[in-house]
Amino acid sequence: MSGTLTCSKEGMFIEVKDYKSFTELQTAITDQLINSDNYSLGTPVYLDIGRNYMTNKQKRQIEDVLLDHGLHLKEIISRSMISQNLQEEKPLIEDMPRYESTSLICRNLRSGQKVFSYGNIVVLGDVNPGAEIIAVGNILIMGSLRGMAHAGARGDDKALIAAYRLNPTQIRIAEHITRPPDGEQGVGVHPEVARIKAGKVIIEKLKI
Amino acid sequence: MNGKVIVITSGKGGVGKTTTTANLGTALAMMGNNVVLVDTDIGLRNLDVVMGLENRIVFDIVDVVNGHCKLRQALIKDKRFDGLCLLPAAQTKDKSAITPHQMKNMTNELRKEFDYILVDCPAGIEQGFKNAIAGADDAIVVATPEISSVRDADRIVGLLEVAGLSNARLIINRIRKTMVKHGDMMDIDDIIDILSIDLLGVVPEDESIIISTNRGEPAVLENGSRAGEAYRRIARRIMGEDIAVVTGEANNFLDRFKKIIKLAR
Repeated sequence: MSGTLTCSKEGMFIEVKDYKSFTELQTAITDQLINSDNYSLGTPVYLDIGRNYMTNKQKRQIEDVLLDHGLHLKEIISRSMISQNLQEEKPLIEDMPRYESTSLICRNLRSGQKVFSYGNIVVLGDVNPGAEIIAVGNILIMGSLRGMAHAGARGDDKALIAAYRLNPTQIRIAEHITRPPDGEQGVGVHPEVARIKAGKVIIEKLKI
Repeated sequence: MNGKVIVITSGKGGVGKTTTTANLGTALAMMGNNVVLVDTDIGLRNLDVVMGLENRIVFDIVDVVNGHCKLRQALIKDKRFDGLCLLPAAQTKDKSAITPHQMKNMTNELRKEFDYILVDCPAGIEQGFKNAIAGADDAIVVATPEISSVRDADRIVGLLEVAGLSNARLIINRIRKTMVKHGDMMDIDDIIDILSIDLLGVVPEDESIIISTNRGEPAVLENGSRAGEAYRRIARRIMGEDIAVVTGEANNFLDRFKKIIKLAR
């Protein structure tokens, strides 16, 4: 297992292209760093891993290895299709409005039951038809939403409603009220999220 | 315009009050009337589901009574008929959320705009029942051919009389021709004998009711449905037409003779 290490004005370039496992990559990087000692602390590092793909967790581990040597990871250069796609995606959480408090409900909400919160609401269970769930903040349902959910009840139109299975009788976000189209009682197969885009409530696949 | 307020009640649960309300309302609207269906079963509302309008509810009867919204805002227009509206019940409250007095005021307001106001009454004889009958001019009692249902209907007829509604009429629901024929089910005459009120109609047991109820489309819309046909006839009778009640029983001599024998035993 080999790699190359070059230093320039911009920083340090480490190239480790053919490795079989992540541990192998880690040792290769450590070896390179031990062998070369002509770098100053705080040098930005560009790591080229060729066609390989790295998860976020692995990136953090590499960051830690480099930090131990007083270096900081600037960029990982990868020509893997998977990692490129992953990098392009903007996490949903970024747009989500923040609220201080969150109510956690660990049961199913049945017809006639109503939950209200000044912050977010997280339900570990289902929300059945006839149940109402109203939050000033966001709503997250780790089960099926079959009843009515109202997020951003005080007018926050950035609030989200996310559910493992989104199959509601009605969805309300801020002042918007929507219902599924008539005759369409489709059972989704993906977790979905409802939010307001361009003045309309839209429903899309949940990506985190 | 001065509409008629008709309460549909039964005492016993599960005999078909809600189905009857939905079907009669739809049938009356089909015939060009302005109809509003009022669900007074607060906490256990169903009429919206049977009508297929559940997902359109924003305001309900309790919001109207408490002044959170205008009456007009709470009325949900039916998908099929312009002349048909639904005033839904609240699901997260209970029967005590409204009073008979408030109900009376509300029905009087609805009277101005609609020809028929059909009030779907909850089961039981407590507050919900008292609310439902408060503003009524007329009552329809629904009963199935079972002793328990007829007993409860009798109690209801008595309570209606006390409340000044002595013109209650009867709908016998879910009758099975063959069972009556074999003497396994109470027949129409027996029931009228006990209740001694006018018969408004007889609705046969029909599987299509279950299908249409689940789909949120009243059976009167289907031409092939026997129960739907029966409801259409009842609606015409409500409008004052004089049509014979189809009892669904064979009326030949032999059958009548058999019945007499059976009664004599």
